[in-house]
Amino acid sequence: RCFPVLVHSPSLNLCLLFRVRRLLFLSEPRPLTPESLEVSINSTCQCLHLQWSIHSLPHHQELQMIFQIQISRITTSSVVWVGNYSTTVKENQILQWSWESELPLECATHFVRIRSVMDDARFPKPRSWSKWSSWEEVDAQDSLGHNALFVFPKDKLVEEGSSVTFCYVSRSNLNNVSCYLDGEQIHGEQLTPNVSTFHLSHVRYKRTTGTNIYCEMKQGRKLAGTVLYVSRTEVLEEPKNFSCETQDLKTLKCTWDPGSDTALTIQPSSNYTLFESFSQKKKVCEDRNWCSWQVTQDSQEMYNFTLMTENYLRKRSVNLVFKLTHRAVRPMTPLNFILENINSRNATVTWKVRPIGNSTFQCQVELHHDGQVIQTKQQNNVFIKVNGKYLLSEMEPDTHYLARVRCAYGNHFWKWSEWIDQKFTTLEADAGDLFSIWSKVCFEMIIGIFDIFFQPLSKSHANGEILFYNIAVESLDKSSKFNLSIPAPHNDTKLTLNKYSYQIHVTANNSMGTSPASVIVIPGEPGHKEIEEERVKGTENRFSLSWEPQSRDAIGYVVEWCDHPQDPLCGLQWQKLGPNTTSTVISSDAFEQGVRYNFRIYEISPGWIASLLEKKTGYSQELPPSDNPQVTTSSLTSHSFTLNWKDYSTESQPGFIRGYNVYLKSKMEQCTSGFERITPSDDSAGCRHKIDNPEQKTFHVENLEPASSYEFFVTAYTSAGDGPNGTFTKVTTPDEYTRMLTHIVVPVILCILLITVLFYFQIQWMKEKCYPDIPDPYKSSVLSLIKSKENTHLTIMNLKDCIPDAIEVVNKPEGSRTQPLGTGKPLTETELTKPATYLYLLPTQENPSGSGPCICFENFTYNQAASDLGSSGHVPVPPSTPPSQLGLLYSPENLLKALEKYYTNSLGEIPAGETHLNYVSQLASPMPGDKDSLPTDPPVQAQCSEYKMQMAVPLGPASSPPSEDTSLSS
Amino acid sequence: MPTGDSWGLLACLCTVLWHLPAVPALNRTGDPGPGPSIQKTYDLTRYLEHQLRSLAGTYLNYLGPPFNEPDFNPPRLGADTLPRATVDLDVWRSLNDKLRLTQNYEAYSHLLCYLRGLNRQAATAELRRSLAHFCTSLQGLLGSIAGVMAALGYPLPQPLPGTEPTWAPGPAHSDFLQKMDDFWLLKELQTWLWRSAKDFNRLKKKIQPPAAAVTLRLEAHGF
Repeated sequence: RCFPVLVHSPSLNLCLLFRVRRLLFLSEPRPLTPESLEVSINSTCQCLHLQWSIHSLPHHQELQMIFQIQISRITTSSVVWVGNYSTTVKENQILQWSWESELPLECATHFVRIRSVMDDARFPKPRSWSKWSSWEEVDAQDSLGHNALFVFPKDKLVEEGSSVTFCYVSRSNLNNVSCYLDGEQIHGEQLTPNVSTFHLSHVRYKRTTGTNIYCEMKQGRKLAGTVLYVSRTEVLEEPKNFSCETQDLKTLKCTWDPGSDTALTIQPSSNYTLFESFSQKKKVCEDRNWCSWQVTQDSQEMYNFTLMTENYLRKRSVNLVFKLTHRAVRPMTPLNFILENINSRNATVTWKVRPIGNSTFQCQVELHHDGQVIQTKQQNNVFIKVNGKYLLSEMEPDTHYLARVRCAYGNHFWKWSEWIDQKFTTLEADAGDLFSIWSKVCFEMIIGIFDIFFQPLSKSHANGEILFYNIAVESLDKSSKFNLSIPAPHNDTKLTLNKYSYQIHVTANNSMGTSPASVIVIPGEPGHKEIEEERVKGTENRFSLSWEPQSRDAIGYVVEWCDHPQDPLCGLQWQKLGPNTTSTVISSDAFEQGVRYNFRIYEISPGWIASLLEKKTGYSQELPPSDNPQVTTSSLTSHSFTLNWKDYSTESQPGFIRGYNVYLKSKMEQCTSGFERITPSDDSAGCRHKIDNPEQKTFHVENLEPASSYEFFVTAYTSAGDGPNGTFTKVTTPDEYTRMLTHIVVPVILCILLITVLFYFQIQWMKEKCYPDIPDPYKSSVLSLIKSKENTHLTIMNLKDCIPDAIEVVNKPEGSRTQPLGTGKPLTETELTKPATYLYLLPTQENPSGSGPCICFENFTYNQAASDLGSSGHVPVPPSTPPSQLGLLYSPENLLKALEKYYTNSLGEIPAGETHLNYVSQLASPMPGDKDSLPTDPPVQAQCSEYKMQMAVPLGPASSPPSEDTSLSS
Repeated sequence: MPTGDSWGLLACLCTVLWHLPAVPALNRTGDPGPGPSIQKTYDLTRYLEHQLRSLAGTYLNYLGPPFNEPDFNPPRLGADTLPRATVDLDVWRSLNDKLRLTQNYEAYSHLLCYLRGLNRQAATAELRRSLAHFCTSLQGLLGSIAGVMAALGYPLPQPLPGTEPTWAPGPAHSDFLQKMDDFWLLKELQTWLWRSAKDFNRLKKKIQPPAAAVTLRLEAHGF
């Protein structure tokens, strides 16, 4: 880097001048070779200063010339820099130029030479360079002294992030030298046999005392070092917020923000200098952020200040121009601020201002209470000369206030002065007249219990601390009256009175006296008017209420509410309003969001009786429901189900329930009818059905797919949104066919089971009806009886031994059975199972017309004799036994007799022509009708032609028994 | 015991009684003498030793490495003007009380002056406070030594005109050399306080010899 330097001989005092040895001298006067070249070193800036002159300028003119400068290091041949410097040259002018070296100049010998060329338009081109001047050698090491070791540069100051080159110069063997940067050894590059260089790049700030670099020669304990000061990037900030002001037009105070202090021990905090250009005066400021300036007495109005600061690396300056009386006068803080004549409502403040010439001041008075400005006199500022006075009014008794005042220059307002303030307390006054009571009446059957509440409308109306309340209760119906006193901290009392109308007077007392009475009348009977509750919308901590007046002669209205409706002591509040008021704003810090507040508006009649006018309810801010309905499902079909949440309470929620949202999730892409997809991008959100009616607590979900899984979730919503997120409940619709099967197959199976059970218990009946046991003639008891009596040629015909020659098919008439006569009672089961009963079926010739069922009896009646006579092919049917005879057969004796008679007749006496043999199937269809209801119709021939098995039976018994025969066969 | 011996013992006792008024330790008439002030000076020296240990740590950290490294032992480059505390042991033993006290007084006078210069150039307020506090204590020590010297009847050394130590670094004085000087100042101060403790301890013992020693001396005189 190179730069020209103006010739200021004093400045050269700072430089270390070194004599320069001249190696060569070229004394050619033409063409204008630079002469008398001198080179010096400035170690602080690591600069080479060149100085030369041009003699014998043609015609003593000024010429534009270009100088070319060459700089070599160590030897003349190693050129490290070549550059041109163009300037105007006068006759015998000493020219100067500087070059800043990166390497400390003490580290190596430098050589400089220079040549020139005319660059003037008056001389025709081409122009040729002059000869080089002789090399000038600069060797700073000669003057170092006798120390064995040196480190250069000394105490270098650089900006953070820059690069620095260091070197050490040793007088002896280099190998013994070690160098350290802040205690860490560093390694350099050997420049000459006794010089090594160290290049440090991107150096960082370490501390205000700089980074220590030192080299040590082990032998002889030689040590040399230097300090590298690294200044932070924001080397020197430009001063900010520079402004000047005066409080007395005598002294200006200029202030500014100097920014962060980047002081180093080598570079202390920058000094600031103030320069005023109109007066050409300068002042070095003692402080970093302010400076005072004496205003001249010659009434200088305009000022043009320049604030300057500089350090080794940077220079900064800011400018400020202003007119003194317009933009710089800020009065001093007012003095002697005193409060006078303080009473319960008013006070007077007085103050003084230091005069500035003959000017006026505008002042601002403020009155504060509880940290807030309640009165300010800004619009109508008080204009004063020296003494200020202001009456503070409309204050409340026994209240703490703070009054303060500030002033500004009245001729040209610029800035307010500082405030001056003072605290004070107004005096107490009589207890206030605007006193409020209210009663909550709880009627019982005969005795009314009254809660009387009373409170001052505000602290101001109390006019001081209330000591106690006096309550006078006077009956309107009867002339009874009593008084009581309540100490002040209490603000309610309970009175138990008869069920009459009472007038209650309450007065409050403070130390100054008694307040006017506040009156309320409690009616004997409460009103029973049904009033619909109206919803109101609140905002943050206020409700706007309005109502319709009912009677024209109302003397006022009362709005009543509870600050804490959820507490048992609900914090009853009320507001009394004038007769012409039809709306009010109820505000309370106690109002919370999500709490329902109920307001009751009463109209006060001329007789001081309050009657309920309107009811309002609302939330200061609605919140989403705090809980979700507990939903049950019912009526689940394959296409629908019903959701119920009957138990959900809409009243206890932190907002008015506006309705419900039913969310349904399914795998289907489309929502079922009545539902809308809420967020198409999110499938998990599903579909929603909005129910607008908060009272509708059931919902029928339809058009569902059978055998599908659905998830539903029901939440209530208020104006603030849905209730809390909840879990979805899963519902799976049943399969359609499964349902059908369930409805049909199950009853069928049940029926079959029932029938099976029935059949199981009636198996005997069935068996006997459908497939009776075929009687084995050989096992017949009849046979044994016969055998025991006759034991002769009696045999039983074996069917296979017979060769039937004819088969007669007999159609047996149905319903041939008749009610047994003479039996008197039905046969019991045991009787029916007696084998002897079969004997009834034996043919009786007396009843030829009776044809019983041709089934279900043993054919042991097969008669050998008949069989023998079977050649005739006809067996005579025995005559049917008269019904009267049947009854006799029940006794064993009769039975035996009958058998004997039967067998006697059948085997011995029955004429051949009277008997005939019929083949009757065992599987003959039973008789129609019940076994108990014996038919009275004439016997009908049974259809026996279809019988598969046939056997020879006497025809008579098969058709004859008209009465119990059928029963017996079962 | 032979009779001759008894007479010899009596003669010895008489001699002792004759010499008793000459023993300084027993020749006290209510005046405490320099003893308590020597003790106080000794105590103050030990206190300053302790105080300097903390101050030196802070200050050497402020100078940065290598000055705060425990094994850094640079050659004494530009600190020649500082009074040296180190002295040959025999020479130290041979010092008389006056010279001993005078050397202490002169050393601390110089060191205090240098220390004040150190305080002026310290960049941080906290460091300046610590240094100022230490300077005050050192001023107290100087006064205490002056008190002892006065008690013992020694005159205070008068600084020669023009030899007043100053804290004006020469034009060739680099910041690194300045740091070296600061380092050596603290180091010399530490050594001086250590040496002074020895000096005052020695002086204390000398001024207030124990009673047993008196007896022994008497016996030595007797025999």
